[in-house]
Amino acid sequence: MVTTEPIIRCHSLEKHYERGGEPVRVLESIDIDIARGEFVALMGPSGSGKTTLLNLFAGIDTPSGGSLVVDGHDIATLSRAALAHWRSRSVGYIFQLYHLVPVLTAYENVELPLFLHGLSGAQRHARVAEALEAVQIADRYSHYPRQLSGGQEQRVAIARAIVGNPSLLLADEPTGDLDRAAATGVMDLLARLHRERGQTIVMVTHDPHTAERAQRIIHLEKGRLVEPLGAAR
Amino acid sequence: MNALTGMRGVFALAWRGLRRRPTRTALVVAGVAVAIFLVCSVDAMRTGVERATHRAASETALVVYRQNRYCPFTSQLPQSYERAIRDIPGVRTVTPVKIVVSNCRASLDVVTFRGVPAESFAADHATQASPEALAAWLARSDAALLGPELAARRRLRPGDRFTAAGVDAFVAGIIESDAPQDQSSAFVHLGFLQEQLKRGGTGTIVTQFDVRVDDPANLDRVAAAIDEKFAADAAPTTTRAETAHVARAATDVIALVGFAQLLSFAALAAVFALVANAIVLSMRSREREVSILQTLGFTQLHLGTLVVVEAGILGTLGGVIGAASSYAIVGLTRTAMTMEGISIAVPPSLGISLAGIGMAIALSLAAGSVPAIMAARQSIVAGFRS
Repeated sequence: MVTTEPIIRCHSLEKHYERGGEPVRVLESIDIDIARGEFVALMGPSGSGKTTLLNLFAGIDTPSGGSLVVDGHDIATLSRAALAHWRSRSVGYIFQLYHLVPVLTAYENVELPLFLHGLSGAQRHARVAEALEAVQIADRYSHYPRQLSGGQEQRVAIARAIVGNPSLLLADEPTGDLDRAAATGVMDLLARLHRERGQTIVMVTHDPHTAERAQRIIHLEKGRLVEPLGAAR
Repeated sequence: MNALTGMRGVFALAWRGLRRRPTRTALVVAGVAVAIFLVCSVDAMRTGVERATHRAASETALVVYRQNRYCPFTSQLPQSYERAIRDIPGVRTVTPVKIVVSNCRASLDVVTFRGVPAESFAADHATQASPEALAAWLARSDAALLGPELAARRRLRPGDRFTAAGVDAFVAGIIESDAPQDQSSAFVHLGFLQEQLKRGGTGTIVTQFDVRVDDPANLDRVAAAIDEKFAADAAPTTTRAETAHVARAATDVIALVGFAQLLSFAALAAVFALVANAIVLSMRSREREVSILQTLGFTQLHLGTLVVVEAGILGTLGGVIGAASSYAIVGLTRTAMTMEGISIAVPPSLGISLAGIGMAIALSLAAGSVPAIMAARQSIVAGFRS
């Protein structure tokens, strides 16, 4: 369910790095509004700044200039602790390489963010069971990441991202490390989460087929928007 | 969310992380345990030396030894000195003692036979032995009253017989005493011991006199008076407070214990280095994991605490295992360092064990603090690039 209220609003957003004394302009003059409940794909070639933009949306990197307001929070003005708190409540992040904690089981990986919500053991258990059920991997809850296939690991990672009911789901190449069948399964899952939960999803991908599952595609090249208003579906 | 929300997760994560990296955890814990075992054991030895050689203000015991002799076999004094010593003002009791040891060198299992006059010993030690034991000891010329450490070490009970240093004796009883020199001693009748040894003529030669003065303030004066009395005699004496006598005889052991203490300090440094190294290496290989936790919303305080808790758990486990092992082994073996017939008991001490655990925890927490700061300050993006 898309509303007109933007959950992400960025204006003249910039990100520069310093490398060997030389400034490297990763993002320049980015103006994007993403509506609450929208499913957006960020596309572009390698080095175009897609992941950096996603990291800025997640508050795990800070902008060099411009303004970025996510879910009502001006990201540039928040302290590191405040950003961490905000992320724990509002952001679910899905990585290309899953990034599960290897010494924890699937269940424990999904439970991890809930410790920050101050829930009781029973409440955590109910939420984890629900999330694992939602990604259809409840029968693997006691498996360690090394005992899971890539597709299963990514489902656990998605369960971890949604277990806290975040307002924003960010996915960085979620199918980039999967075979076609597993990739299709993960995209079906994301589409279902968007459809059934009205989840706002921003997904980075370089695969046009994957990007087609989104409602809107935003193209980046050399740190700039080249098609700021992709075709709505 | 307050600052402490999520700490339960931090503790759970730390514990699970250690449990599920069993090889690394076991190696670090074993290293800490060995070091703390060494520290506690050496400290128990130091405590034993301290107790045996520290002169208390209330000390009233003197040992009269043959001048310039340093071994029970060469310290030979006429038993007739007993009356002359008793006549010196300030002397309360005098006990001529013949000492025979099963080993004259520094050793951990030595039996020190102390030949003493039956009646005076029975009167002086009436409270240390049960009436039955004392009666049995007086009734038999080959009877021995054993110090508690010796009885425990050799598993001897009343009614047993035992042989050491060529002396065969009947165990009449076990005395209750905290005095270090009583611990590894077997008190036998003086005449019996002299007869057994056939040395120096029956009933005339003893190793030393144990003297008690009536007032601690008189200790040095009485010692000087005894030595002055026999200065021109064929067998001149050197009289010292009992603790000073032990300290002189145990010089080598004291030096060894001092050196062992240096080693134990090195062991403490090893604990610090071991835990710090383990945590630094662990965190270096877990930079990505730290970034994952940061992305999920764990704060700098959470991450710093995670690292410190891991280090603390390693130190606590190692400390408890090392200190408990030391306590058990020192307690079970009832070790006593003995040289020249002087015994220094190595006592098990709960205080030493708790101090060892405390040191292990404190050093581990300190060792984890720098990696904790590094983890807390780590950039999320840089961690994912690692």
